Amino acid sequence: MTEKLTISFTVNGMEEKREVPPHQTLLKFIREELKLTGTKEGCEVGECGACMVLLDNIPVNSCLVLAAELDGKELVTIEGLAKNGELDRVQKAFIDHAAFQCGYCTPGMIISARALLERNPNPTDEDISAALSGNLCRCGAYQEIRQAIKACSK
Amino acid sequence: MPAFTYQKCSDLSQAMKWLAEDKDTFLLAGGTDLLVGIRGGKFKARQVADIKDIEELKILKEDQKGITIGAGVTLNEIAQFEPVQKNVPILAEGCNSIGTYSVRNRATLVGNICNASPAADTAAPLYCLGAIVKIAGPGGERQVGIEDFFTGPGQSALKAGELVTAILIPKPYPQGKGVYKKASRTRSVDLATVGVAVQRWGQEVRIALGAVAPTPVRASSVEKAINEENVTDAAQAASLVEKDISPISDLRGSREYRYHISKVLVRRGLEETEEVCS
Amino acid sequence: MPTFTNIGKAFPRIEAEEKVTGSAEYIEDRCMGPMLYAKIKKSAIPHGRIKRIDTSRAEALPGVRAVVTGKDCAKNRVGLYLVDRTFFAVDKVRFFGEPLAAVAATSVEIAQKAVDLIEVEYEELPAVFNPLEAMKPEAPLIHEDLGDYEVVPIFYPVAGTNISNHSKIRKGDVDKGFAEADVIIERDYYIPQMQHVTIETHKAAALWGFDGKLTVWSTAQSPFTVRQLLGKCLDMPLHKIRVVSSYIGGGFGGKAGATMEGLVIPLAQRCPGYIVRIVFTREEDLQCTFTRQAMYAHLKTGVRKDGRITALEYKMIWDGGAYTEYGVNITRAAAYSSAAAYDIPNLKTDSYCVYTNNPVGGPVRGFGMCEMQWGIERQMDEIARKLDMDPLELRLLNGLKEGSTTATGQRIEDSSFMNCLRTAAEAVEWGKRDTGKYRGKGLAGLVKAPAQPSNASSSAIVRINEDGTVHLSVSATEMGQGMLTAMCQIAAEALNIPAEKFSTRVPDTDYTPYEWQTVGSRTTYACGHAVTAAAKDALRQIKELGTIALGVPVEEVELEDDTVFWTKDREKQVPLAVLANSYMKPTGEGIHGPIIGRGSFIPSNMTNLDPETGQGNPGMFWTFGASAVELEVDPETGEITILQLATALDAGKAINPQQCKIQVHGGTVMGLGTALYEEVQLKDGRILNPNFTDYKIPTIENTPYMKGFVLETPDKGGPYGARGIGEQPMIAVGPAIANALADALGIEMNTFPMTPERVLKAIQEKEKNS
Repeated sequence: MTEKLTISFTVNGMEEKREVPPHQTLLKFIREELKLTGTKEGCEVGECGACMVLLDNIPVNSCLVLAAELDGKELVTIEGLAKNGELDRVQKAFIDHAAFQCGYCTPGMIISARALLERNPNPTDEDISAALSGNLCRCGAYQEIRQAIKACSK
Repeated sequence: MPAFTYQKCSDLSQAMKWLAEDKDTFLLAGGTDLLVGIRGGKFKARQVADIKDIEELKILKEDQKGITIGAGVTLNEIAQFEPVQKNVPILAEGCNSIGTYSVRNRATLVGNICNASPAADTAAPLYCLGAIVKIAGPGGERQVGIEDFFTGPGQSALKAGELVTAILIPKPYPQGKGVYKKASRTRSVDLATVGVAVQRWGQEVRIALGAVAPTPVRASSVEKAINEENVTDAAQAASLVEKDISPISDLRGSREYRYHISKVLVRRGLEETEEVCS
Repeated sequence: MPTFTNIGKAFPRIEAEEKVTGSAEYIEDRCMGPMLYAKIKKSAIPHGRIKRIDTSRAEALPGVRAVVTGKDCAKNRVGLYLVDRTFFAVDKVRFFGEPLAAVAATSVEIAQKAVDLIEVEYEELPAVFNPLEAMKPEAPLIHEDLGDYEVVPIFYPVAGTNISNHSKIRKGDVDKGFAEADVIIERDYYIPQMQHVTIETHKAAALWGFDGKLTVWSTAQSPFTVRQLLGKCLDMPLHKIRVVSSYIGGGFGGKAGATMEGLVIPLAQRCPGYIVRIVFTREEDLQCTFTRQAMYAHLKTGVRKDGRITALEYKMIWDGGAYTEYGVNITRAAAYSSAAAYDIPNLKTDSYCVYTNNPVGGPVRGFGMCEMQWGIERQMDEIARKLDMDPLELRLLNGLKEGSTTATGQRIEDSSFMNCLRTAAEAVEWGKRDTGKYRGKGLAGLVKAPAQPSNASSSAIVRINEDGTVHLSVSATEMGQGMLTAMCQIAAEALNIPAEKFSTRVPDTDYTPYEWQTVGSRTTYACGHAVTAAAKDALRQIKELGTIALGVPVEEVELEDDTVFWTKDREKQVPLAVLANSYMKPTGEGIHGPIIGRGSFIPSNMTNLDPETGQGNPGMFWTFGASAVELEVDPETGEITILQLATALDAGKAINPQQCKIQVHGGTVMGLGTALYEEVQLKDGRILNPNFTDYKIPTIENTPYMKGFVLETPDKGGPYGARGIGEQPMIAVGPAIANALADALGIEMNTFPMTPERVLKAIQEKEKNS
């Protein structure tokens, strides 16, 4: 039996210390241990983007990261975007532009969109495509997603 | 996910120790191929050694030898590294052709090479740049040319207990113009049906292809025609590529299609870099 | 024109905040109590007898709580239309990946380990993977007992064969029609399997209570249909079964009917008090759930020199896969719609649903219409070229108009097909030639009616809260269509209370009223009617109380927002809250009690079809539309670049124009994916591409800007004139692209998807032949 590892990290601004099995993915840890169920599982192999989170401010597929790797790092999930009961501007723009239907890809999509806007406040269509092509939306809300992101541009 | 133990390595000797102690130790740098492989049963890992934060593997620098890219450096870091963009942009193109933005935030160039897929998007550019693979192992350090590193599909020159520490893009760079042309089914987040790198400098050209043979390959026949036989017609030269490749049929394309596309992309690569010659 | 205050407005989705913050609950997000995790053992061969299943090693594994095989489970078959399926294979397996056994354990890993320890011994049987082969008399029989299966009597299985349905349409006289034709075109077309690949895979959970009550959580699109099918399969009364829905992470037909639920119930039965949950991996989702049936089409069309179509002979052979309990209805719908959007006086159609040992075919957005109209829309363009006519003009000439009749002789009451065609065409500057050498334009029309039994019904409950706000209960599921929002807007309109004052929830068969299924783009229409009726029923009660409170005749009482008033003097009024909060006389005597409106709907305009001629009224409504495209081809690589893409649909009345628009765009994207990339690649019944690495769907990067149009020609039978548009936008995209390819390069694509390799091959063949 493999022994659990102790990890210390912050999640959505809160410091945490937990024990994790060495083979547990960050995705499973977020959903099952932290109970932050906004992060979704869609493929488990980094191809759909539904499990996107920010790790030290960088968007990563949490299904391709081990929970053990979280040690000493900062994690932000979709639950961490709204501040003081106020939605983030990307979240608001997604509502205004009807940039989702079933909503299952939406948390990951918003995480990617927000990371893009952080590093590039005025993205072109091409920039948006490059940054979000790893987030699949089967409802096909891509055009509205593009518009929502552009509405957040400076 | 099948169970395994996890070891965080703080220096290279630790990683080497784990590799030596248990042959079912797998190295985790970006993890984007490793975890998929473990989940799918391709890798039977008893132990995962995390080398991502080893300081000496995070090297990304340019000096008189060239550009050194450590095993812990991600594809996005490479593509955004100014000396890469300025001197060997073809490598940035190759890096940006892999997976998605978020995968490239984790995936490493060394990992891509060690996976030894004949379709690796970074391989053809590295072939054109004459990259050198730096290996550390129980017997000490050694260096292997990139073309000798790939030995077959999923097979590399790495021996038991060894690991790749870095890749060197040696100076002098073949500075001129390089392009990476990729054919795929969807032109978005797709594996290469055929990948072609063409690098020209002065009167010389170097061409490499991915996904058309058991390993990435140089288009030696085309190169010879241009470099030695003064063939100037791009189409004529490109048609020789069929001597250099041996594609198979798979889900991403048939053998015939790959032959055809290889010629088209080599020709286009030659045309797009032609300006260097004049 | 009537003016509306709550419909026709871009009211934000009522679940919008939940969905952007990650707090929207999908089935797997629900904290449900003591859990066990299930995995299934799947067939490793496509066709064979089960000689032995040994579960002893699995049972002995620590952490395993229950193991079941097909033999341990209820023997009753299950099926929506043709009862041909069991949740677990019993004596035979009929497709690769068919569930054979299941394990419940304390973790997913242990369950998987246990599944791997189950040993299965098969006696392999000859398998058949091509429906053209499978329908031959000498083909191996996949369902020996087909003749004994229970079947809804609108389907026609042929006992002793692999044909599970043969639907016929005989309209007019095709021989006469072809005799009148100046040009006859005859050609084969093919559409391969595709998959929904909802980003949320299929999931289900079950709890067997100690009181014998079964609770099921499911990603199913239709909780009541699941309950009904389970009741029948398990011989249980319906009050002992509760099916709970959550938000669904995409459906597209793939989560219609009942499939997953039966896999966890027998495990739950053996572990009372525990919730047993199964979550399909992406690979399982692709291999083990419905695919779109592949279809072989043979079309022969006759046309006069003036462009009038005189006859159509259409033969469709569908690859139903190993079970066709649901699939038979696709083949029936395709038959009764087989003149597509055109007025064709003489028609002969034979549509065969054929068993093969491929994965199970089933409903997918479009329900046969993408497949069936592919050939027709391709042939329309070929005819236009032969006659040197504009393909738009040819369609306008032959298109269904008000008063025209469909393939089954049903009269079209309201059609704006012409308008849709013109709108889509104009959007891509139809008729304007670009100078680009390898550019082309193409368009295609579409029509679709919901495919449902004539008695598919809906219901709704409107509860006026004590303060005059409202709770609406329906049992249509929310899988992205914006149904909850649209239903609140409809109720708000009927009651004249602002939609902001409504709450509603996803269904739960113990708490929300009956709905047949959330399929077929029928919810806005059918559920919308029930909601309107419920709202009107509540309004009637409010007005009756208003009469008492205000002392004026009931016909002079009106409600607006929170106030009930006398129409002749608004000053005479009473707050709705007073009436709704257990209103009583000043003396303290109660009058009425809580206000609850109820509404039901069942269509009265549908009939069964004649078994021999197929004539009758199968369409509750018909939605028309069109797509147009301009593209550029790289003639050396076969790569297509979409330059312009437009889809126009007639929604009758857009209850929520913003949500309609995004549906049109989203469906167009899915149509684009199936046209260019998507194909379930099969080898001996096994899926070669069960992942996003090789089953490619559109990304934001290769999705072009689109123009979506929502036209509004009121449907005479629809609530506020509305009709459904959910599935329709994907239907015409594929043929429009193929028609544009023909325009650009003169190549004829007769199959999906139009991959670079296929396009290049067509180009090379054309060069060879010319």
